[in-house]
Amino acid sequence: MAKTRLPMQGIRVTDFSWFGAGPYVTRLFAAYGAEVIRIESNIKIDGMRWQAPRKPGITQTYNISGMYNNFNPGKLGVTLNLNLAKGIEIARKLVSVSDVVLDNFIPGAMAKWGLTYDELVKIKPDIIVCTMPVMGITGPYMLWRGFGTTIRTVAGIDYITGNPERPPIGTGMAAFPDFTCNPYHAATAILSALHYRNKTGKGQFIELAQFESTACWTETSILDYTVNQRVQTGMRNHLSYAAPHGVYRCLAEGREVDYCAMPESEPEHRKKDERWCAIAVFTEDEWKAFCNVIGNPPWTKDEKFATFQKRKENEDELDSLIGEWTLKRSPEEVMMLMQKSGVAAGVVQDGEDLQTRDPQLKERGFYVYLDHPETGRIAHDGLTFALSATPGEIRRAPLLGEHNEFVYREVLGFSEEEVNKLITEGVLE
Amino acid sequence: MGKQKPRSALLAELRVLDLAGPAGLYCTKQLADLGADVIKIEPPGGDPVRNIGPFYHDEVHPEKSLYWFHFNTSKKSVTLNIESPEGKKIFKKLAKGADIIVETFRPGYLDSIGLGYPALKKINPGLIMTSITPFGRTGPYKDFKASDLIGLAMGGLLFICGWEDEPPSRVGGSQAYNITSVHACAATLIALYHRDMTGEGQRVDVSMQQCVAHSLQWVTQMYDLQKRIMSRSGRLGVPLQECKDGWANFIALFDWDLLVDWLKSGGGEADLDDDKFKDMDYQIRPEVRQHITEVTDAFTKSHDKRWVCEEGQKRGIIAIPCNNAKDVVENPQLLERNFFADVEHPELNDTLKYPGAPYRFAETPWKIKRRAPLVGEHNREIYGRELGLTSKQMGLLKEQGVI
Repeated sequence: MAKTRLPMQGIRVTDFSWFGAGPYVTRLFAAYGAEVIRIESNIKIDGMRWQAPRKPGITQTYNISGMYNNFNPGKLGVTLNLNLAKGIEIARKLVSVSDVVLDNFIPGAMAKWGLTYDELVKIKPDIIVCTMPVMGITGPYMLWRGFGTTIRTVAGIDYITGNPERPPIGTGMAAFPDFTCNPYHAATAILSALHYRNKTGKGQFIELAQFESTACWTETSILDYTVNQRVQTGMRNHLSYAAPHGVYRCLAEGREVDYCAMPESEPEHRKKDERWCAIAVFTEDEWKAFCNVIGNPPWTKDEKFATFQKRKENEDELDSLIGEWTLKRSPEEVMMLMQKSGVAAGVVQDGEDLQTRDPQLKERGFYVYLDHPETGRIAHDGLTFALSATPGEIRRAPLLGEHNEFVYREVLGFSEEEVNKLITEGVLE
Repeated sequence: MGKQKPRSALLAELRVLDLAGPAGLYCTKQLADLGADVIKIEPPGGDPVRNIGPFYHDEVHPEKSLYWFHFNTSKKSVTLNIESPEGKKIFKKLAKGADIIVETFRPGYLDSIGLGYPALKKINPGLIMTSITPFGRTGPYKDFKASDLIGLAMGGLLFICGWEDEPPSRVGGSQAYNITSVHACAATLIALYHRDMTGEGQRVDVSMQQCVAHSLQWVTQMYDLQKRIMSRSGRLGVPLQECKDGWANFIALFDWDLLVDWLKSGGGEADLDDDKFKDMDYQIRPEVRQHITEVTDAFTKSHDKRWVCEEGQKRGIIAIPCNNAKDVVENPQLLERNFFADVEHPELNDTLKYPGAPYRFAETPWKIKRRAPLVGEHNREIYGRELGLTSKQMGLLKEQGVI
């Protein structure tokens, strides 16, 4: 089988990033053919390597974390001790043969190692360096610490989410910006810089402050305040230009499952009763189609729901009437009936639905199952888009230090003796 | 390679045709703010997105939609009925000179009117055509309709969001659309890199459902490795502290001693000065969480959230204010860094403050070139100066409802 050239083949990335937001950037590049070298260390392990979930009943090592393995497919893993001068020298050597450098450390960390853009551009004049600090590399809060969950809170997404009568809810434990705006804004910036380098031969320095990147994702919230002095809040599932627009409880299944609120908490074993269907009606035609689907019960003719305006005014009552209808049906049935009539609707899918039931994701081959030497066959998110001429591929994530031999011998050209000496001196820790 | 033009925009000299609805608007906004020449193609009379509120000073008007303003900065606008024979001809001329097309029509629509990728590829082999659809261009659900809410639902993000005792709750800010748009933008740029290397264009097929399903942190692995279904966690794990003027959020997991010292300085550590709280398994029990929050609330309630967070961070604790739009606009960090962008709106005789750059480039600064376009604002520039139509021809096309 002729192997198609992957589009980013020939690009080498020296990746100092860790946890979620940084590795998600290079995950994309690796899937499309870039050679991504993840610099890790045995002395300060990437926190993602010990996070839950892990497969139970097998030897618990740094190589079996589900999240690490899903965040790092296709990368080369090396260990390097940046606390030693020789370690830094090797990092610089790696940069000298790289196209892109990425980090998401607190401001000052890369400077401590002499690995700032100003230093690196001297050894690789067209290097593209992207740093992803939490708050920015300047400013009064530059040293503030934070995670994906807190970045979401400070940037204003939490405030416009949920029930306005309760505290802002956000996306709960999910560190939303780590997997969305921050890595994909960074990827967009780096890819644009690569295009610019193709045109001009010039590299450059890119700063992605995660606070700013996330603040760009509050839709009209900022403009509504600066223009109308209005502070937007959560609206539960309502939307100003649609009604009904909500999530409706559906028929529970008899089968029992384990629900879990947090990865480390005790699971709740109960019937699969968290069954919901989302329905969104925008136009008058869709409203009519919607009424037909639910059999035109008398309440749909009620004056209270006669116009869009009226439906907005009486939306809570509308929602509860719809809920009575959906409660007798599975969410799949509700979705199919609505979609057949041209009404947007979708099952509120859980992890099991996504992986084992959804025929669309199956047909598209979304989940990729690969063998891993320590944790067996495991699921990975696949590609989110298909490129007609240059497909991508998901390969498993590296074990800690798995590619030391390849990178130090083949890429940097050290002899076996030299590598052994580095090991003895602790440089490859 | 080419001659260097110092400090030219990153994506200068790229022409993009924007046929995107809400799911793709942030994709083309990014390209436009990065310097590409993005032409929004609106149906005669204007894009329906112009009817989405809120509006400037709450005056409902297609030229005053803040939603339109936000997502269409730096773009140009022409009006065109792409279903009419004359309109198709004009569209093909535009496509011939374009580098990128971004569209969100239902699968097969553009093919059905003779403007699908295979037809356009013939007249422009280097063209990159990015198609954004709810579920992708193939598969049993390819013709299903979906909005942001349905994308969040089918992609699995909705299920884990919200309070435990309420229905799943949509993330504010149309995040399924945003997610899809950033994936589409990255995909388009990967295709562009390939074209830089080989001259070859291609078709990009983006699925909103897949983009959302790749934004779930641990949902996939919890089920795959442990057969457990992640459910809504409410504020468990990321509790909000009540402050005098709102809320703040601490993550004290790793900094227990620092937190206790701080509480002591305010006289309110209660029984928290105990090593048992350092055990994560113990600390995350709901009743323990509840107790911790009650103690810390008693302390934070008497202070405003800015003080709580500035003081907390000074002490090494991850303390973060729960900001609303006003707090964001007045945030000292964002102000010091000149994050916000002032954009002139001559028609409104006003300058509006927008969110600024998501990324900063040392060599090629990001910039909002101009406010979002008026309906057909650039018809004359594009059809007249560029395609060479006379005023008379344009008048005729207008009469026929083509432009």
